[in-house]
Amino acid sequence: MPANPAPGPRGAAILGADAVSPARQRRPVVLLRPVPGTSVIHELWAGTKIIAVFVISLVLAFHPRWIPIALMATLVAVTIRLAHIPRGVVPSIPRWLWILLLLGAVTATLGGGEPVLHLWSIDVEVGGLLKFLRITAVSIVLLATGALVSWTTNVADVAPAVATLGRPLRPLRIPVDDWAVALSLSLRAFPMLLDEFRLLYAARKLRPRPVLPDGRMRRRRWAVELVDLLTAGVTVALRRADEMGDAITARGGTGQISAAPSGPKKADWVALGIIAVVGLAAFFVEIPGPA
Amino acid sequence: MTSTRPEAPAEHSAQTASRRRPPRSLTPVEMAHASVMAALSSALAILSVVIPFAGGLSLLVPVPMGLLGYRYRLRVLLAAAFAASTVAFLIAGISGFMVVLNCAYVGGATGIIKRRGWGMPMVVVAGTVLGVLNGLWIIAILIVLERLRTLVFEAMTANVDGVVSLMSKFEPFRQAAADVRAVFGLALQYWPVLIMAYSIFSMMVVSLVGWWALSRVLERLRGVPDVHKLDSPAETGQVAPVPVRLREARFRYPGADHDALRPLNLAVEPGEHIAITGANGSGKTTLMLLLCGRAPTSGSIERPGAVGLGQQGGTAVVMQHPESQVLGTRVADDVVWGLPAETHPDVDALLEEVGLGGMAERDTGGLSGGELQRLAVAAALARQPSMLIADEITTMVDQAGRDGLLEVLSGLTEHHRMALVNITHYDNEAQVADRTVNLSQSLDNMAMVGSAAAPVPGHAPAPHSSRPVLELRGVGHEYGAGTPWAKTALRDVSFTVNEGDGVLIHGGNGSGKSTLAWIMAGLTAPTTGECLVGGRPAHECVGDVAIAFQAARLQLMRSRVDLEVASAAGFSPNDTGRVIAALATVGLDGSLAGRRIDQLSGGQMRRVVIAGLLARWPQALILDEPLAGLDAPSQRGLLRLLTDLRINTGLTVIVISHDFAGLEELCPRTLHLDRGVLRSSGPTP
Repeated sequence: MPANPAPGPRGAAILGADAVSPARQRRPVVLLRPVPGTSVIHELWAGTKIIAVFVISLVLAFHPRWIPIALMATLVAVTIRLAHIPRGVVPSIPRWLWILLLLGAVTATLGGGEPVLHLWSIDVEVGGLLKFLRITAVSIVLLATGALVSWTTNVADVAPAVATLGRPLRPLRIPVDDWAVALSLSLRAFPMLLDEFRLLYAARKLRPRPVLPDGRMRRRRWAVELVDLLTAGVTVALRRADEMGDAITARGGTGQISAAPSGPKKADWVALGIIAVVGLAAFFVEIPGPA
Repeated sequence: MTSTRPEAPAEHSAQTASRRRPPRSLTPVEMAHASVMAALSSALAILSVVIPFAGGLSLLVPVPMGLLGYRYRLRVLLAAAFAASTVAFLIAGISGFMVVLNCAYVGGATGIIKRRGWGMPMVVVAGTVLGVLNGLWIIAILIVLERLRTLVFEAMTANVDGVVSLMSKFEPFRQAAADVRAVFGLALQYWPVLIMAYSIFSMMVVSLVGWWALSRVLERLRGVPDVHKLDSPAETGQVAPVPVRLREARFRYPGADHDALRPLNLAVEPGEHIAITGANGSGKTTLMLLLCGRAPTSGSIERPGAVGLGQQGGTAVVMQHPESQVLGTRVADDVVWGLPAETHPDVDALLEEVGLGGMAERDTGGLSGGELQRLAVAAALARQPSMLIADEITTMVDQAGRDGLLEVLSGLTEHHRMALVNITHYDNEAQVADRTVNLSQSLDNMAMVGSAAAPVPGHAPAPHSSRPVLELRGVGHEYGAGTPWAKTALRDVSFTVNEGDGVLIHGGNGSGKSTLAWIMAGLTAPTTGECLVGGRPAHECVGDVAIAFQAARLQLMRSRVDLEVASAAGFSPNDTGRVIAALATVGLDGSLAGRRIDQLSGGQMRRVVIAGLLARWPQALILDEPLAGLDAPSQRGLLRLLTDLRINTGLTVIVISHDFAGLEELCPRTLHLDRGVLRSSGPTP
C-alpha cells in the first residue's frame, strides 16, 4: 500500500476540507487530533478524562435539573478555559440547524405551561420553552464534554488507559488485554481507512454520470454500484488487515502497547477528587419546586 | 486459501520456548482482521452520524462485522465490537456508539447464519429476537432513567402542544389538531409498546439489508487472493536461528505448476551481511518465508534451534509496506509494540541508532516512508535478533529515504551480533553487503534498478502546438483554515502546461504535490488563486483532466475489466469494439476484457485504470507515483507506453513523483516543489 494515498495533513482526519466552493471556507470537522500546545488538562491521564465523561453523563442522565446542569456546565467551561482551547476549534454550524432550533423553541413556547412571565401586558407561558431549553442544554453539555476529551487527549494514550482501567475486570474472564490491543490497532488503522474512503469518493466523482433508463433498471444499477463501492472498500481493508497480520506475526504476537506506564499521577487524583465532589453536589443539592 | 472461506480453528499459535500465550487468546491474523474491520465499521458509522443526510451509510455497518462472524470465532467478533464501539463513542458520542453496537450484533448474527448455511428465514427469526432484546434493553434503561425520560416526553409534549395550538387557530384544521393531540397522548401513555414495535421493525430492516449486502459482497470476494505471508511455525526448544544452512532447498506452492524457488544451497553465518538479488519471480519472497520457518518442499534447512520469529535472540523481519508495518500510534510505543511485559529496551538509544533521535513522542501518522521503515528497523532491533531479514524495504520509499536506510543497514552488522539478509533490487545496496547471492538463472543486469541523478534534458521534444491546457495562477491551499490545525500545503504556485508537454512535479514528503495534483484535477478548489483547464476553472469541469491515483485498486470500481473501462469512459459495456480499442491503447490484449479485476497484477491494474481514463479523451493525464511498487521491467514498459502516447498522440502528461529514475524522456520538464513553494520551473533543474 502506498505511503500517502491522499492529500491532507497526515495523522489528522479532516472532513469537509476539500469542499468544492472556495467562496466561504467553512471551518471543517477535525477528528482524532488534539489541540496543539499543552496545558494542565492536556497533561492529565486519559483515564481521568474518560472517568470524567462517565460521571458527567451519569449525573445528567439521572438528574437533568437546572442545578446539576449548571454545575456540570461550569465544570466544563472551567476546563475549557484551563486547556486554552481557542475559538476556531468549533466547526461551523450549518444554517439548517439554527432554523431547526428556532422552530423547536417557537413551538415549545406556543405549547404553554407554568410558569408565566408578564412582559409588557402580554402573558407568556414559558413552561414548554424551559423544558426545551433544558433538554438542549443537556445535549450541549454532553457534546462539549465529549469534544473536550477529543481536543485534549492524544490518540496514543487512549488504548493504554483503557487497558489500565479494565484491569479490575480481568477476574471476570473478560479478555481486557486483547480488547485494548484491538482498540489500539483500530485507532491506528482508522485514519488510513478514512484516507482511502476519500480516494474512493474522489475516484467516483471523476467518472461521468451514467445515462440510465428509468425505474427498475435504475434501481438495479444503483444497487450494483453500491455493492461495487462496498466491495472495493472491503477489499482494500482486507489487504491492510493481511499486511497488519504479517506485521504482528513478525513481532512475535501481541504484548506491550505503550512505552511509558499508563496510570494516574498526583494531578489526576486532584482532578478526580474535584469531579467526585461536584458530582455528589449535583446529586444532593436540590431546590424545592417544579423540576 | 482465498479470503472468503471460514477459517478452521487455529490449532497451534506460537507455543515456543520463550513465550506462552494463553490458548484462547487471539492469533495475529485474527487480531489484525478484528481491528481493521472494527476501524472500517466505526468509520462508516461515524460518517453516517457526522455528515448530514448520510444516515443510510449506517445500514452498511453490519457488513464488516458480518465478514468477521463468517470467517472467525466469536471471540474475534466481540473484540472487534468493543474496539469499534469505543472508537465510535470517542468520535461521534453516544449516537455513534449505539449505531455500531446495534450493527455489530446484527452483523455478527448474519455472519454466523451465513457460515452455518441457514437461509433467509433464520435471518427473519434472528432479526425478531434481536429486536425484542434491543427493545427490552432500551425500555429497561428508560425506566431506570426516569427523570430524563420525563423531561424528554414533556419537551416533546410542549412542541406538539405548540403546533396543535397554532393549527387550532385556523378553522379547517381544528379537528385534525385535536386528533393529533389525542394520538400523541396515547403514544406517550403506551410508550413501551411503541418502543418495542419500533425496535423490532428497525432491527428487521437492518438485518435484511445487512444480509443482502453481506451476501453480495461475499460473492464478489470469492477469488480475491489472500496476501498474508508470514505464519508463526509451531516449534519448541531454544531459540537459535543462525547459523542456518539450506541444502538443495526447493519450494513449490500447493497447486502451482512450477517451483517458486529452485533448489538452492545457502549458508548464513552469524555476523554476515548478505544481499539477495534476482528478478521478480525468482523466489526472493519465498526464500524469506523459508528463512522464517516455512518447511521446504524438498531439501533441508538446518538450524541449531528454533526460528523464534519476533522473539529475543531470534529472527526479525522488516517488510515492504511502510505504513502497514508500524503498529503504534506514537514512535516510542511502536518500538516496544508486541514485546513481552517484562522487557524494557532503551528506546532512545535505538531511535538514535536508526537516525530518529529525539522523535520518541512524535505521532507516526506524520512520518515519511523512509522514516517509517527506519522505525520498523528500530522495532526489530529492540528484540536483539540473531538474524534480521529486510524484504525489499526500500521499494516504496523515495531517494532520500533510501539513502538513510542504506546508511542504517550498512552499520548494523558492525554494532550488533547478528546476521543481516537484505533482499533488494537496488545495485548500490547489494554493493555494501559482504556477499551477494543472485537467484536468477541468467545474470540479468537489466533487472537491477539504478538510482538516477537529476535529469538533464535529452533530445528536443516533438513539436507540438503551444495551446495552454492547464494554467495555474497564484494557487495556494490551506487545510483547516480558521482552526488551530490550519496547515498551508501550497503557496503561490504558478505555471502553465501546454498541449503535448511532459511535466514532472518532483518533491519530497510534505511538499504538497498530492494537493497540487488534486487541484489540477478539479477535486479540490484552491483557497487562493485559480486553476484553469482550457480556460474554465478546474473544479467546474471535473473529469476533463484525468488523474490516476497511486493506489490503483481503489480506482477500479467494477468487478470485470470491460465493465470497469466502460464505466470509467462512459459508454455501454456491450460495446466490445470500444473496450478492446481502449485496452489496446495501453498495450493490453483484448482477451483481458472478461477477466476479473482482482485477478490482475499490480501493473495490469494500473494499465486498466489508464485505459479507462484515456478512453474519455481527457485534456491531460496526471499520474500520481506511477512507478511505485512495480519491478524494473514493468516500470520500463509503462514508461515506454506513456512516452509513445505523448509523442504520437500529443497527450499531455503530468507525473507526480519523488523519484527521477527513467522519467527523463517522458517528462523533459521538471518542477520542484519544496514545502509548498515552486523552486524552479523550466526544462533544466
